[in-house]
Amino acid sequence: MTGAAERLDAQLTVAAPPVGRVKLSLNGVARSFGAVRALDRVDLSIAEGEFVTLIGPSGCGKSTLFNILAGLLEPDPGGTLLLDGAPAPSGSLLGRIAFMPQRDLLLPWRTVLDNAILAAEIQGQKKREARELARSMAAEFGLKGFENHYPQQLSGGMRQRVALMRTFLFDREVMLLDEPFGALDALTRALMQRWLLDLWSRYRRTILFITHDIDEAIFLGDRVTVMSARPGRITLDRTIPLPRPRQPSLLTAPEFMALKRELLEAVEEESLKAFAANGP
Amino acid sequence: MSWRTLPRLAAPLLLIALLWEGAVLGFGISPFYLPPLRQVLGAIAALWPAYQSAFLVTLAEATAGFAMGALVGIAGGIAFAHLPRLRRMVLPLFVVSQTVPVIAFGAIVVLWFGNTLAAKAAIAFYLTFFPVTVNTLAGIEAVDPRQVALLRSFGAGSRELLWKLRLPAALPRIFTALRLSAPLALAGAIVGEWFGATQGVGAMLLAALFNEQVVAIWAAILAAAAVGSALFALVALAERALVFWREEL
Amino acid sequence: MSGALRDGLLGAALFLLLWEGVVRLFGVPPWILPPPSGILVTTWAARASLLPAMLATGQEALAGYAIGAVLGILLAMLLALAAPLRRLLLPVIIAVNAVPVAAYAPLALLWFGTGPLSKIVMVAFVVGFTVFLNTLDGLLRVDPAGIALLRSFGASRLGVMRRLRLPAALPDIAIGLRVSTVRSMIVAIVTEMLGSQSGLGWTIYEAVLQIDFLRVWAAILLASLLSLAFFGAVGVLERRVVFWR
Repeated sequence: MTGAAERLDAQLTVAAPPVGRVKLSLNGVARSFGAVRALDRVDLSIAEGEFVTLIGPSGCGKSTLFNILAGLLEPDPGGTLLLDGAPAPSGSLLGRIAFMPQRDLLLPWRTVLDNAILAAEIQGQKKREARELARSMAAEFGLKGFENHYPQQLSGGMRQRVALMRTFLFDREVMLLDEPFGALDALTRALMQRWLLDLWSRYRRTILFITHDIDEAIFLGDRVTVMSARPGRITLDRTIPLPRPRQPSLLTAPEFMALKRELLEAVEEESLKAFAANGP
Repeated sequence: MSWRTLPRLAAPLLLIALLWEGAVLGFGISPFYLPPLRQVLGAIAALWPAYQSAFLVTLAEATAGFAMGALVGIAGGIAFAHLPRLRRMVLPLFVVSQTVPVIAFGAIVVLWFGNTLAAKAAIAFYLTFFPVTVNTLAGIEAVDPRQVALLRSFGAGSRELLWKLRLPAALPRIFTALRLSAPLALAGAIVGEWFGATQGVGAMLLAALFNEQVVAIWAAILAAAAVGSALFALVALAERALVFWREEL
Repeated sequence: MSGALRDGLLGAALFLLLWEGVVRLFGVPPWILPPPSGILVTTWAARASLLPAMLATGQEALAGYAIGAVLGILLAMLLALAAPLRRLLLPVIIAVNAVPVAAYAPLALLWFGTGPLSKIVMVAFVVGFTVFLNTLDGLLRVDPAGIALLRSFGASRLGVMRRLRLPAALPDIAIGLRVSTVRSMIVAIVTEMLGSQSGLGWTIYEAVLQIDFLRVWAAILLASLLSLAFFGAVGVLERRVVFWR
């Protein structure tokens, strides 16, 4: 495990664009709802094991993009979507990408363990085996001793960890995380960010992470991408050359600040556009 | 049921018994309106086997119809949730069917089924299935669409969505309907007994009315209350076992 | 919306056709199930005796409904304001409510005779209970923060009732009133069946004794129409009063 983590860290401290095999690639993916154009020719490519964050003003079509990637929504014809280099028509993506929505969406009638294995269970895995695996992972997700609790007995941070565990147990190489920490308080959120990075360096999944929070985007990502106001399009794709493992002190480092300033300007421009478009 | 719930259940009963006796003694109420509780209980004790069998007969009729109504109602709600066209065609009929004073059907139902348990159960069924259908449908439709999207992204098909998400999520509402329709089912069974039945709480009520025996009427009312409580307890126990997560919400 | 209406009418038409067809095709005897056309014909033929019966039942149901609704709402308001009284009376009320209504009908007949009064009392009793329970539920479920806010403005308990609790409970009251419409008809008919000299319930009972099942169905048809009209009228009123739903 630690070997893999070190290898990963070594690889990711390189400031150059990722050299790994391309895992997921979008070319000119668009989507309209009637007359409204939600996504406008999105080009994005994510390498294997890469952590990419995506920020953009609200209503920029991030959820549309996520739903397309999760296979829940069909893109307009014309664009291409490649998974592992092979074209992935909509529908074929269902069950191939681990998707974690904003809300934890835990089922109140299932225990922590049974919530965590939900995806695995739907995939046809034996309940007992899935439970065994989940039990062995509980400590890592900070849920030891809570395996048989019900979601409504847990704090917000713990619920989010159950949801993350569910996503990890849904053993897919690509994970889509849609503002998973958006509802948490600032302190819990900071803890969860570091914990997620730790987990990621060990399991080495490819992650696309949506957030509103620029600090979070920089702190977590190998690359930060910015999406424009509706119709959504990737307008900025910035590699984050900060070394890993990243410590909280990084948040006040000058190089962090410089990146933040740069991204803030880009995001603000988009927000203003969105405001002008939707405002009175 | 624990030792803590027993006093909680017994206290209101005791209060009512005290109020009853107190009112009769204190206000000198004529036994034509309200005979003393002692007298009513005495009448029941004197004919204990008769009251016991009436209780069981009516409970069986109501429970049979109620259970069938619950099953058909849940199945109907699921069917309506999956087939919008069917729902638009049939649900209005269901709504209209509920404005039919069902009890008026009692005579015809007895004609169809004879003086059997099935006849009373059929009336109880008719009164149960509709609220359950409506609430099952409402419960399924109230499921968070994001929840559905999440399970679909895990590769769940419609059967898995139903068993793992829609049905459990609809359970609280289904039980609301069951709690509401339990007394209705019982009323259906009792009225069904008015059309020539010789056994059951309803038959007892009718006999007491014809003989103008106020004490016997009150005794039958108590028996009806006992059946109602038994039915309600059944539903409450099932609810506690199946919808255990709700109280913590 | 017109699609829903079309499908609804289509469903009703199919149902009636199926009914008529099955009865004719299999030669079902009318004492088991008469065809819809036969019921209509009988209803028209017997209108001279059926219409007064419908009127009598309608009057009993309406009178009992009005009395029960007013008493139910007033009692709920009283118990919402007076918590100690509520704690004392609520178990009694729930116990009385645990008995199926039909069981009280013999008492009503014995006490108030076989005239309209016993039916009105029974209807008022049932409607009152339904409305009372729904209203109390609505009055007590109000957001405590809203109450605190109004109290901080200096509102009295009655002020809170008038400005917050009552409007907030309107949807619940409306549900109680709507459910009660059908119930009021059922109770009036049931009580008539047990003992009466007029009304649809009495007509049904008499017709059963005379083994005149077409007449039973005709009475059921009229009872359903009456109850549907009542339900519809209250529904329209509800949509006007509780417009914010």
